[in-house]
Amino acid sequence: MDKPFSFVFHKGPLHEIVHLAGVIDAQAEAHFEELQKKINGNAVVFDFSQVGRINSMGIALILRCLKRLASERKITVQLQGLNQMNAMLFKMSGVFLLAKEVR
Amino acid sequence: MLEAEKHGPATMVFVGTANDVSPGLEGLFPDSADTVVRQVMSTSDKPALIEEVTLLIGEFDEDHALLGQKAALMLDEMLENAFYAAPRTPEGKPRYDQRLPRTIGKDEQVLLRYRYDGIRLFLEVRDSWGSLTQGQVFSYLAVNTQEKEPDPERTGRGLFFMWWMFDHFYVRIYPGQETAIGGSLLLQKARSDSKL
Repeated sequence: MDKPFSFVFHKGPLHEIVHLAGVIDAQAEAHFEELQKKINGNAVVFDFSQVGRINSMGIALILRCLKRLASERKITVQLQGLNQMNAMLFKMSGVFLLAKEVR
Repeated sequence: MLEAEKHGPATMVFVGTANDVSPGLEGLFPDSADTVVRQVMSTSDKPALIEEVTLLIGEFDEDHALLGQKAALMLDEMLENAFYAAPRTPEGKPRYDQRLPRTIGKDEQVLLRYRYDGIRLFLEVRDSWGSLTQGQVFSYLAVNTQEKEPDPERTGRGLFFMWWMFDHFYVRIYPGQETAIGGSLLLQKARSDSKL
């Protein structure tokens, strides 16, 4: 069964890392607002390896979050741990124009 | 033999609007003995329905796992559309907040049909609103195809995902009565490079 969205924030020596987990949909909105407030450094990695499904509302939340971090706050954002499906959705919706994937 | 994963949108059958015939989709997803039909009463039914379909597909290998992921997303988008995008006020605004759970009204109906033959999965969701228009469908697909700027507020992204992921995709609208959105997903070879 679907796991609801959650995240864990870590502050590393080189960059901050946010481990995302569960389904990313409209219900994740408040969590995305919260996680943006935790990011203070110049570089952050979003780890999607524990993320399940991301629907179109989830994509909108991710785009909104990345726009704020990358475009407005000039924070370098990288993405890792994407499965084939979510990488496909990110490519279709322009997520990779705001944050590069690292492997 | 499995086909290589397709790279592009579905073959689309847009049945358009119909005022002079009763709702039904004969020919696009005909009834058969193994078609499963579910009345969906609440958004809280969604996780169990998605699990029901993905368990049917199974995760025997990477190809089945990818088909299951696509099926889960398509079902999610189709049900979100029926529960939140279809119900509109007379002014055309959404009636319900997508962040809140929702149970359908007594005059409302959301119907899911699916069938899986081991190679192809057919999915269809009907709502009793019939509020989507032909113009909106083409506009959503066009804007999401043409616009490269990653705009979070762009509308119609869910429909665009369906058009892109389904191998065959159809929309049939009876204005004010019913919208049916459906399509089929083919079991295909998963790509190893995680790219389109």
